[in-house]
Amino acid sequence: MNTSTPYLKESAAFPFCKGCGHHHYVNHLEEAFAQLKLDPSKICIVSDIGCIGVLDSLFSTPHTFHTTHGRSTAFATGVELADGILYDSKLKSVVVIGDGGATIGLLHIVNAALMNADVTVLVANNMLYGMTGGQNSGFSPLEFITPTTPGGNIVPPMDICSIVKSCGAEYVSRVSSTDKHLSSIIAAAINHPGFALVEIMELCTEFAVGKNAINGKTLQQMVDERNQNIDVLKDGFKRIEFSEVYKSKILGNQKPSQDDTIKRQFTSSLRGKQQWVLAGTAGEKVQLASYLLMRAAITCGLHATQKNDNPVTQGSGFSLSEVCISDTDIFYTGIEIPDIVIISSADGLKEVSSNGTLARCTLSSIIIAEETLSEFSAAGRILRIPMRAICTPQRAAVSAVAAWMTIEKLLPPESIASVIREKYGDKISLYQSDIGKIIPLLTEAMEKNQ
Amino acid sequence: MSLQPQYKIRTGNQMIAEGALHAGCRFFAGYPITPASGIYKTMIEELPKRNGVAISSPDEISALAYCVGASARGVKAMTATSGPGWSLMIETVQYALMTELPVVIAMVQRLGPSTGGATQSAQGDLLFTEFCTSGGYTIPIFAPSTPQECFEVTTAAMFWAETLRTPVVVLSDKEIGMTAEDIDFNSLKSFPSIERAAFVNGSLNSAPYRSYDFSLPNDVPLFSPVGGKYKTTLTGSAHDKKGSLQKNSPETIDVLRHLQQKIEARANDMAMVKIDDDPNATMLLISFGITARTALEAVAEARKNGKRIRFVNVISLFPIPEMQLRKLAEGVQTVLLAEENFSGQYRSMIRHLFDGKEIRGINSFGKMITPKDILESLP
Repeated sequence: MNTSTPYLKESAAFPFCKGCGHHHYVNHLEEAFAQLKLDPSKICIVSDIGCIGVLDSLFSTPHTFHTTHGRSTAFATGVELADGILYDSKLKSVVVIGDGGATIGLLHIVNAALMNADVTVLVANNMLYGMTGGQNSGFSPLEFITPTTPGGNIVPPMDICSIVKSCGAEYVSRVSSTDKHLSSIIAAAINHPGFALVEIMELCTEFAVGKNAINGKTLQQMVDERNQNIDVLKDGFKRIEFSEVYKSKILGNQKPSQDDTIKRQFTSSLRGKQQWVLAGTAGEKVQLASYLLMRAAITCGLHATQKNDNPVTQGSGFSLSEVCISDTDIFYTGIEIPDIVIISSADGLKEVSSNGTLARCTLSSIIIAEETLSEFSAAGRILRIPMRAICTPQRAAVSAVAAWMTIEKLLPPESIASVIREKYGDKISLYQSDIGKIIPLLTEAMEKNQ
Repeated sequence: MSLQPQYKIRTGNQMIAEGALHAGCRFFAGYPITPASGIYKTMIEELPKRNGVAISSPDEISALAYCVGASARGVKAMTATSGPGWSLMIETVQYALMTELPVVIAMVQRLGPSTGGATQSAQGDLLFTEFCTSGGYTIPIFAPSTPQECFEVTTAAMFWAETLRTPVVVLSDKEIGMTAEDIDFNSLKSFPSIERAAFVNGSLNSAPYRSYDFSLPNDVPLFSPVGGKYKTTLTGSAHDKKGSLQKNSPETIDVLRHLQQKIEARANDMAMVKIDDDPNATMLLISFGITARTALEAVAEARKNGKRIRFVNVISLFPIPEMQLRKLAEGVQTVLLAEENFSGQYRSMIRHLFDGKEIRGINSFGKMITPKDILESLP
């Protein structure tokens, strides 16, 4: 029972079992707010699920945010990120969570500690899940008897204080719920600018007491034993709270985006849709080649689409790109009948063989393939040229695309040159030399393939 | 006078991010997943330039919880994911719905189930996305079919999330999300960027502030943020208008019903369909997302062959634009629905609107539907 305070409801009857540590938890939390003289509108109690989670309903004036099981710290982190970075950073978010919720949502606690988000986590550790029948939690000690460990718990408990300390938490404390200093410990945790965690050891009178040799005295011994490795407030605080770091390192270091508008400065004689497939090996600029093709087409007033594909590991195996260019709107963005296929390596050949590209070629398709590739068949004209030897594997795809565009004359050579120059500056001469060598070979191959 | 075209190369994913920025999104938290990562990357690059927060989270559960926390503080928030991440977000989607906290989630579909095919396209998560709530509440879903629509639809999603105080999904897919093309930025359409209707003392007769207050069940409660002047009481448990935990009080049941009623009542206002009409049509072709874009090519071709075909691209998939769809089917004998999943998910949701008509599905699985697939299915 509570009489009038600035924070708790008047005459609020606590819904906890007789002797449950949660009574102390609530009263000390209220006392901590009072010690800090906090404006209630600058407090957000973010409560979890479980007996301790209903604590929000006892408070009359602070904001309360009753969340889902284990996730309370993540919601509180979101509140604090917004408050700290986008507002005045005056809100104090206090996570009210049990050992069950902390077991479920350990990652959220860990991540808030790693970030040093301005969140205070108050773990009510009664060593079991009380509300759902007393099951053991990740905090149950060895030998602990619960309804789900009737022969005694055989899995050791986690040490949440050590865990968050290893994540850089600078305010960490473990106390018994009957500790007379609890309110000032909570107050210091709330006041700490950055992540703070207090593990409050409690007894569940319903499920733990009676079945285990445990009482207030042994609980205190447990706290003392476990605290041998915990140094609280010893070294002073070195870390800066996350939102301050974000404001200075991220918001303070932004450069304006560059305008990447493409000027339509050339014209094209293309009518209808032309479909290209480029296939090669990851790292050999296949997707870049198709990007340059798309860009050149756009400078000529055409529309263009580009799709890329590669294995999930990204940097190895095949690299594939599909480009459509058209003088009218493009609707279907896939490749129905490939007009031009460029295969610059064995990885690329394997991919276009297996994904159906070669099978979809028709007699009018042009297939430009690296000369050294093994034999393959497809409808259309297969033009084999030593593009890897002439251009190096790195320039093969780009040069082959540019050479074919030059031969075909659908896009003016200046459009192709302009996008290569944009990308490579003076190195364009290397490409111009490659392209100059490939064009006669392609022309010759075409003549042979009439 | 129309502006000169301003062409830039963008993917659908980038245009969802652009749409969110245009709509005033100030908070993004994300966890990378193909094919949605382009949204995450663009937000990380662009949002801080506009003094917003864009951060990475350790998983999708945290990503959406961060967003909902930020929304409770009063900012427009968004995240992006794909099927496997959506699985993890469902708990928090329901929480946002129950607590009436707006948030936009871009769901970029890939081939499921489970990890499925990260770089394979699909439109198979439609029902998985819609029916994720215990109780079967409507999650508004808007599906763009082009990068331009990605922009427009994301502004619409942000508009409706803030207007209705509810989670809203932008349902895209790998082919829209990861295909780059030329976009004319001067021809983009958008919904207005709005702020949540806020409580100020005296704005309702029922002061002090109650987080879930409404007069009529269709009303959207006025918002006040955590950290604001008025005490807020947010909870995912069944509650009364004040936010106090209640079991079966009539007021609590009213609050729960209102969560659905506020959306249903605005179904007509939310309807977004794009029609390519033939007034003498004998058939109606319905599609959405990437397949709707493909269908435009098939429709043009079919008309050259003398087919009388009316086409509709359904953007607001849920709430189902029933009135619009019924009207579009007037006078036609056949209704066709093209979608890239094996069972005809949207067809199963809307077939009751077309009693007495022949209904055909055009479906594919593991590959895009082509114009040819559609042409060959026409009567």
